Amino acid sequence: MPTNIIVAEKLEFAPFDEIKSIKGEMIISESYPSYLVDESKISGGHAEWLFFPTTEKEIVSIINKMKEENQMVTISAARTGIVGSAVPFGGAVMSLERMNEVIGIGFDEDSQRWFLRCQPSMTLNEINEYVKFKKCGQNQSIPPESDWAEKFMEECTMYYPMDPTEMTASLGGTICANASGARSFKYGPTRDWVRHIRVVLGTCEVLDITRGECKAEDGIFVVKTAGKELIIKTPYYHMPKAKNAAGLFTDPDMDLIDLFIGSEGIFGIITEADVWIKEYNAQMSCVGFFKDEEDAIDFVKLLRDDKNLSPEFIEYFDNHALNLLRDKQKIDPKFVNMPNIDKDVKTAISFDLAYSEEDIEKVFTQMSVILQECNSSLEDTWCVYEDRELERIKHFRHAVPEIVNNIIAERKKQYPSIHKLGTDMSVEDQHLKEIMKFYHDSLKEEGLEYVIWGHIGDNHVHVNILPRNLEELKKGKELYMKFANKAVSFGGSVSAEHGIGKIKHEYLEIMFGAEGIEQMKAIKCKFDPHCLINCGNIFPRSGCV
Amino acid sequence: MKIVILVKQVPEADKVAVDPETGTLIREGVDSILNPYCEYALDQAAKLKLEFPELNIEITAITMGPPQAKAVLYRCLELGADKGYLLSDRKFAGSDVWATSTALKEGVMHIEPDFDLILAGKQAIDGDTAQVPAETAEQLGVPQITYGVDVKLNGKRVEVKRETEIGYQVLSVRMPALVTMSKGSNIRRIPSMKQVLDSRSKPVETLTAADMNIDEDKIGLKASPTQVDKIFAPPAKTGGEIIEGSDPKVAAKKLLDYLVENKFIKG
Amino acid sequence: MLEVDIEACTGCKVCEKVCPFGAIVVVPETKKAKVLDNCTLCGTCVNACSFDALSIERKAISEEDLAKFNKVFVWGEWEKKDGKIVIKNVALELLGKGRELADKLGESLAVLLLGKEVEHLAQNLIHHGADIVYLCEHELLEEYSTDGYATVISTVIAAEKPSVVLYGATPNGRDLAPRIAGRLALGLTADCTGLDINENRQLLQTRPAFGGNIMASILSPYTRPQMSSVRPNVFPKPKPDENRTGEIERVDVNLKPLSIRTKIIEEIISHEEGINIEEAQILISVGRGIGSKENFKIVEDLAKEVGGTVSGSRALVDLGWLPHPQQVGQSGKTVAPTLYIAFGISGAIQHLVGMTSSDTIIAVNNDVEAPIFKVADFGIVGNMHEIIPEFIQLLKEYKQKN
Repeated sequence: MPTNIIVAEKLEFAPFDEIKSIKGEMIISESYPSYLVDESKISGGHAEWLFFPTTEKEIVSIINKMKEENQMVTISAARTGIVGSAVPFGGAVMSLERMNEVIGIGFDEDSQRWFLRCQPSMTLNEINEYVKFKKCGQNQSIPPESDWAEKFMEECTMYYPMDPTEMTASLGGTICANASGARSFKYGPTRDWVRHIRVVLGTCEVLDITRGECKAEDGIFVVKTAGKELIIKTPYYHMPKAKNAAGLFTDPDMDLIDLFIGSEGIFGIITEADVWIKEYNAQMSCVGFFKDEEDAIDFVKLLRDDKNLSPEFIEYFDNHALNLLRDKQKIDPKFVNMPNIDKDVKTAISFDLAYSEEDIEKVFTQMSVILQECNSSLEDTWCVYEDRELERIKHFRHAVPEIVNNIIAERKKQYPSIHKLGTDMSVEDQHLKEIMKFYHDSLKEEGLEYVIWGHIGDNHVHVNILPRNLEELKKGKELYMKFANKAVSFGGSVSAEHGIGKIKHEYLEIMFGAEGIEQMKAIKCKFDPHCLINCGNIFPRSGCV
Repeated sequence: MKIVILVKQVPEADKVAVDPETGTLIREGVDSILNPYCEYALDQAAKLKLEFPELNIEITAITMGPPQAKAVLYRCLELGADKGYLLSDRKFAGSDVWATSTALKEGVMHIEPDFDLILAGKQAIDGDTAQVPAETAEQLGVPQITYGVDVKLNGKRVEVKRETEIGYQVLSVRMPALVTMSKGSNIRRIPSMKQVLDSRSKPVETLTAADMNIDEDKIGLKASPTQVDKIFAPPAKTGGEIIEGSDPKVAAKKLLDYLVENKFIKG
Repeated sequence: MLEVDIEACTGCKVCEKVCPFGAIVVVPETKKAKVLDNCTLCGTCVNACSFDALSIERKAISEEDLAKFNKVFVWGEWEKKDGKIVIKNVALELLGKGRELADKLGESLAVLLLGKEVEHLAQNLIHHGADIVYLCEHELLEEYSTDGYATVISTVIAAEKPSVVLYGATPNGRDLAPRIAGRLALGLTADCTGLDINENRQLLQTRPAFGGNIMASILSPYTRPQMSSVRPNVFPKPKPDENRTGEIERVDVNLKPLSIRTKIIEEIISHEEGINIEEAQILISVGRGIGSKENFKIVEDLAKEVGGTVSGSRALVDLGWLPHPQQVGQSGKTVAPTLYIAFGISGAIQHLVGMTSSDTIIAVNNDVEAPIFKVADFGIVGNMHEIIPEFIQLLKEYKQKN
């Protein structure tokens, strides 16, 4: 039976002097500049210390020392986040890069599922490589006395289905961000794939949390630490029904593990995690083309509501995105071999389907009906299934964000303060058409350059505004706020997958109000009493200490 | 009109490597694909078929290989071929260029003896020999044009724009003939769902040496004049000095210094 | 056919481990080796088996028969430069290597020289190492044609019975050689990078496969002549010796217009300045890092300043930014200049096989991980678009000062 009580383990401190570290703001900024930035590209990052711990004991020793020095600690792994969570503003950077190994493989007999236990800096690519090619060592069974590692060799091809596009992301980072991506349409976000974690708290103690073992009772957890009992109250706000990565997860009888997943590392450092893996099914990648945006959105609705088709994901590209690809084709050798996209096409919908040869006729007949209803056809829809061809379509899907970033980088040369304004908002199913129209109309009215693409299956598209000058940047920011309000009024989230980090605080308040943020702060103050760890993520440090 | 496409299944060549310690090929993560140059040939054939509907062009894809090579025939069927044939037999094992072209010749004569045009890729990305099509043409007794980038039909003749060392030449030849294709304006197409679906009902047949009445002495290892003696990894390379993190001005200066020092630029 | 002696096989799995193709497995139930369909009969497992359980049946031919073939042949390919007929460098390079092979075999070296009026080339060929020049002149050999050239050469080979024939792996050489191999049922090894004579007096031919990721050595044990093609710039050009003498043997050529089935309609020269990349001393080579076609201007300026020629990677040819005669690599040309500067070329193996024999290689690329740095003598990690203008500026200043 689950309880709402959990006991924290006290750890010995490793000798601080033996921990691999770099000290000095100058040397770090000159010789280790990559630890001061992440994919958000926000500037101004600086740090006095840089640590490379390899064990939990070293981690608590670092926290203890930083507490004495009154220095904040920013956790760092692959730095692929795009909201600045890993960018330090003073204090120490704790890079977990040396904790990057697979601990083992196990089988959960209750749920009849395989899981992989890893250290936090394993990248998603490394996880998949390990799982797909079954690179298990003989002593990697969990528990050690079992023979799961051997038995795993006889399993079919398996994989870890989380795909937040950036497969060089670290496992720890994706858990802290509750990362999702295109495939979350079918498989849900990272949250659904985490079985167990170990987390070092700001109190220098460790929680070992396995899903199902510790659940809140009437919104209360009791954490027994060496010093005292911590009473943790889950926030009272309501989570949006739509896809969401903003703020802490909450529910009156939630699992403790869910409080940590998506917490952006503000409570402590994940040192170990179990994630579920599943069998890999052959897939085909399809791209449907539509001359009218409304047809495309109708197609999305029909496709996702069809229980038999069950696509892996449904992705959207507006005409501006397609124009970028059309231009790209003239200058990128990877695209030169691809067919042209018809000039009449306004919208493309990319979707993957799991398939088997026997089902092709049935599935395609069904697809044909849906496509025709939306003024398209099987003839107009690309379809590939060989691995190399799947890669080609993936490249097609991933090219747009890259092109947008290059355009912005060019404009930065003239206006250094210009940046792209990329939204990350979701809405509930019934508001999809409305919000899409709202986006297009508002942007056209303001005369801004923009591109929209994204996870339309989850009613979650990324509107990217590309300001050409500072005035447009200002206009864009105003629109962004307008969009955020609209999305929330449609039962959505201001950040469906990127998280809040250090750059989206103001939008979080639209969702949960000042009160909700205070409730989150209250939990942080319990787990991290000196307010040292990952400060500035989700909400500012001020008001914590 | 009958067009035959000769195709080959190849491993993704850029991923194949030899483990320098064991001397064995590393196959992990290497997929088998339709040779890209064969795809260009197929694209050319499909374009001709569209351009000349009155000729009722029928495209037949033929490949030789193990049973799993059937996969490339499906891709051909998806991209415009009307039927596919796999020449597959343990007796073909060990075939070099000559024995392969013998089998292909026998296959063509058995399947489509009154062909008008044979299109093939200029070379396969695994062996890169560029020899099989020409030897097949020789064995079939038809003329060949290699390194084509564009094929035009002109009555009973075919006109081919061909890559040369200095540019192009346009050659004309009376059909039947064999043409090998380089890239030109051809692309690797993406099939539509309709094409994928339709391909599943197009005929694909597997033929053994006996099906084609091929004399066993003419195929496989016995009939192969060349034999692989051994396979090994190319010598490992280590680069020279690398300058990193310099300002462009500084980097340009270092480049100039290097060139002057090594007397590529004389003062 | 690879045979397994079931009695002798112990199921030790050594064959399974050494097979480069995964074409032999030990079946768990029987604990005996089993040969799969993808066996290429390369023989690796036969050599590895400690129990003599594996054997490949190969046909034998008597040494007596083999000894009837002697002389090393080289196809003397020429080209037209400014309206004049000149021998191609690759033919001279093959004479250098052919001389070495002929000496090892104790045989003579001959050139097959075909054309309309090409006798004036013969002495130069002798100076470069030929003992005999077979001069095949005919009206219909004025331009290269597959049919005309293949017929004449096949006839000479049939009559003279050489032990080795070498061709330059130029577009025409690669068009011609397989046609002859097909006609005479001979082995032909393409794009050899190494040629030697082994202890059995066989031609040991080494060539790259899989784009250059692996090397294979190949024999033609039972057929003669053994034929190979070699890319330009793979072997060094020998120094001519004007005192060398040799004989010129005129061959009667019988060709009828009808026997040449292809007709040349048009010749197009794509880019006068850049087409000679195989002979250039300095190559300024660009890859996809160039970003746009407009950026070629500055690369051309740079080439002019250092006295080099512009070449590039396949990506740029595919994009239509660079004419194919200027392409370096597996599907383009093999070059060996004294200086090769690669800008924005990442260095896919297919590119590297086309340029690694350059004397000095310099690479400029913004990705420190780019494989091109592995073959470069000097590398700069940086943005070519920023470095090139600075470099041109500095070079101009330097030239003025000196």
